[in-house]
Amino acid sequence: MLWICVLLPELPLEVFTRSQAAAAMRFAITTGGHHPRILIATEAARQCGIAAQQLVSAAYALTPDIVLRERDVDAEASALRGVATWLTQFTPTVSIGNDSCVLAEIGGSLRLFGGLRALLQQMRDGVRTLGYSVQMACAPTATAAQCFARAGHRQPAMRREDLARMLAPLPLACLPGEEEAIALLRRAGVTTFGQACQLPRDALVRRVGKSFVAMLDRARDLVPDPQTPFVPPAHYRGRLELPVPVTEVEALGFAVHRLVHELSGWLLGRGLGVCGLELSLEHEHYLHARSGAATSVPFALASPARDATHLTSVLRERLARVPLPAPVQSVVLASGITAPLAGRNLGLLPGDNELATVPLLDRLRARLGEDAVTCIAPLDDHRPERAWQHKTTSVGRERARAACTLPRGPRPVWLLAEPQPLGATFEDKPWILRDGPERIEAGWWDGGDIRRDYHVAESPRGEMLWIYRDSVYGPDGEWFLHGIFA
Amino acid sequence: MSSLASVLQHPAIWRGGDCAPEPAAVASGFPPLDAVLPGGGWPSCALTEILLAREGIGEITLTLPALARLQSQQRSVVWIAPPHVPYAPALAARGIDLERFLIVRCANAHDQLWAFEQALRAPECGAAFAWLATTDERVLRRLQIAAREGNTWGVLWRRPGQRASASAAPLRLALSKHEGRLAIRVLKRRGGEIAQPIVVNVA
Repeated sequence: MLWICVLLPELPLEVFTRSQAAAAMRFAITTGGHHPRILIATEAARQCGIAAQQLVSAAYALTPDIVLRERDVDAEASALRGVATWLTQFTPTVSIGNDSCVLAEIGGSLRLFGGLRALLQQMRDGVRTLGYSVQMACAPTATAAQCFARAGHRQPAMRREDLARMLAPLPLACLPGEEEAIALLRRAGVTTFGQACQLPRDALVRRVGKSFVAMLDRARDLVPDPQTPFVPPAHYRGRLELPVPVTEVEALGFAVHRLVHELSGWLLGRGLGVCGLELSLEHEHYLHARSGAATSVPFALASPARDATHLTSVLRERLARVPLPAPVQSVVLASGITAPLAGRNLGLLPGDNELATVPLLDRLRARLGEDAVTCIAPLDDHRPERAWQHKTTSVGRERARAACTLPRGPRPVWLLAEPQPLGATFEDKPWILRDGPERIEAGWWDGGDIRRDYHVAESPRGEMLWIYRDSVYGPDGEWFLHGIFA
Repeated sequence: MSSLASVLQHPAIWRGGDCAPEPAAVASGFPPLDAVLPGGGWPSCALTEILLAREGIGEITLTLPALARLQSQQRSVVWIAPPHVPYAPALAARGIDLERFLIVRCANAHDQLWAFEQALRAPECGAAFAWLATTDERVLRRLQIAAREGNTWGVLWRRPGQRASASAAPLRLALSKHEGRLAIRVLKRRGGEIAQPIVVNVA
């Protein structure tokens, strides 16, 4: 067993600030209640003299332009679930710990991700891309990993024999929960983990309770240290609150990138690819209440995908075409239909791994619209203008082509959208009829009745054309141009 | 004599009639044309310009065997802003896989150029044809670089009036009708000039 603890020390702040690139805002979180105090502040605010435990009135006196928000515990809990979901791509055993940390058992994943150092680096970069600052530590037990992460211990503890020795100098305040017991021991002069372990066990149980002593044992791997497993959701739905309402679509790209990264981790953990996404832009509350609906941006993909760069670039292009009726307050990304997608294959030789690129079809449709990019397919009909159809390609395209019989006669590469009457031009110059006539007579059953004699003709200028004589009203009908043998 | 032939094989020796080696070419399916094209076929990672006075002389038919060959390598074909409706039964009868055949239509000339460049850059796209009115030389150079990087055969269909302007495309052809057959004049290629037009029977 090797547990990793991903501690998010600035989580109360970052649930609000992570949707924007610049951390230069003067922004702080307050405790709420009758006498609100500052809980945590951004770097820019701290430079102006804002500190934790300060009264809100004092903070306003120091920097009148500071933006304050009350702590949002629900948002923090859902952010932790988001990080836990993202971590499922590394290991199936993930658990949410006390006080804004997530635990993951990575003992079985080391080889796949190229060793502990590479795995830790990948996790650290990933959590930073999600928008959180992070402290990480690993240890053979989950409780010890939490202690090391809180203490900022960088050296990974790999063996359980070393645990007691490495935990001994840590302050007791690093233990998760149990504030009362820790305060009691501090008053008695016991401040470190090692000191607490040396106390007579029965006396310690009587004074601070059984659960605290059990935690000391669990941290040292003397008794099992079970964790409640985290179950990733069946459908992804991520929500990002913006600190300041946004009126420009371009400014949303950053927030969308964060959500897509989280979605990509969820997809990887479940071995899925997403075929459709829905992005909802929720507007400012007073406007939202009046209009009653958020701007919804549905998006379909050509094939199941989960690569974050692919999804982000596609969504950015799509967003560029969305008109915003009101400033946006929050962004919600939800997964639509998903399909199984095979895991990544490692190349046999170095450099084998293919460069991931965005499929052309997705990029074209994201910018130009769904209707601008089409496929064509033949149809079973004798009438030339009905013998083909436009098809907007989508997932699970059916291969019905084999059932369609192609016409035997000559057919031109270009078909005119509407047959053009040749009129007098056909009469006066020497046209040569090369092939034909081919009588096409069909459609009496659906009102599109035609009776035409088609010829391949060479015009005086040397073009090969597909022309017909309309015989619905008799043998001497008009001549029409219908196609070009290009 | 055998020693002379072996000396001439040396890569440092260049003779007047030689063509520059084309990195990759896809056979056109018309042997007289392949004989004059550098590398023995359409350049599969460069821009080709085809000048055409009027449609209906077999110009698309000239390219269809190469398109079918590219599609058999699991690569798709994109046509951007074609002048008429590409007729599905005729294309299917000539061996084009319509599942790998995309048509892009957009009113805006800027979007058309963007789509053409994206198609040229896409590695999964084997050939991109565009019917554009652009004459800007910088645009053409950019498209040529996109085709080279994306390993895509790009074809720009233009009117002969635009011939005088300079072009970055390494291959320029002018098509016309000659005694019931298709006459191809090679205006520019990587290699020596060809005075006589090549006549092929496309039908």
